Amino acid sequence: MLTSPLWLAFVVLAIRLYFRYRIADAKAVRARYRRIRAQSDAPLLICANHLTLVDSFLIAWALGSGGYWLLHPDELPWNTPESTNFGKTWFSRVLIYVMKCIPITRGGAREDVGFVLDRVKTLLMNGETALIFPEAGRSRSGRVDEDAAAWGVGRIIGSVPGCRVLCVYLRGRKQASWSDFPEKGDTLDVSLACIEPKSDARGVRRSRDLAQQVTRQLARMEEEYFNARQ
Amino acid sequence: MEQSEVMERVVKILTPWVKDEAALSQVSMETNILEDLKVNSARLVDVVIAFEDDFDIEIADEDVDQVNTVGDAVNLICGKL
Repeated sequence: MLTSPLWLAFVVLAIRLYFRYRIADAKAVRARYRRIRAQSDAPLLICANHLTLVDSFLIAWALGSGGYWLLHPDELPWNTPESTNFGKTWFSRVLIYVMKCIPITRGGAREDVGFVLDRVKTLLMNGETALIFPEAGRSRSGRVDEDAAAWGVGRIIGSVPGCRVLCVYLRGRKQASWSDFPEKGDTLDVSLACIEPKSDARGVRRSRDLAQQVTRQLARMEEEYFNARQ
Repeated sequence: MEQSEVMERVVKILTPWVKDEAALSQVSMETNILEDLKVNSARLVDVVIAFEDDFDIEIADEDVDQVNTVGDAVNLICGKL
């Protein structure tokens, strides 16, 4: 884990040279992220739309350069990748290794899922940042599915006092639907919005309500994205 | 309320979310909700909220961690009635 920042910087270089991805307006996105982090000491959960297998990595790269994570490894968000995606290719194995990961089996035993959610909660309360995809999996429609809000995200938000949620909408300009990777040479647009979901409901209903506030925000960001590109 | 009656109502509530209808016809207390009935894990919360509404009970997030089978759901509900 200590070597992760070094590997991350290496992978950033590889992905820029081999996949030739580019984050649009990267400086502004990164400056905005740093401002959001500096605004408050409250726990920060990053929630993003999910279209490709490497979104966790791309989001980390969008929020900070390889050099930045090299200097600030403690700020690199924790991830909860799907266990079954492990080891499919050498590239995904490298990515999983370099990211701070808590593997999760979606649809697995509820106790195991609960254990992962509790770990994420503990990390947030200890000042770490975590990244979760509230739709649980890659969107098969290629659009944010508001109704697919994973209750676990709401459970984390509801159990961490003062939790802020940084909604990240990331999409490659050639990304028509879901895929393993964005197309080579694609330019990735990123938008950020920080919200503080609240709910007066109780129990599981509260968690669903909080999770839906996040997916609604992501859906709004998606609408803005497509409106801006018309 | 008898456990059998709870079981019957639980199966009725689950039915709209079940993707494997053949498994539903052989449902038992041991039937796994996600693996056997193929209920989408992201929709489990809707099922649990339907349990809350139907049985007029409140289920905590942590309670859901114990629910893997139909029997787990029946026992959880019976314990709250």
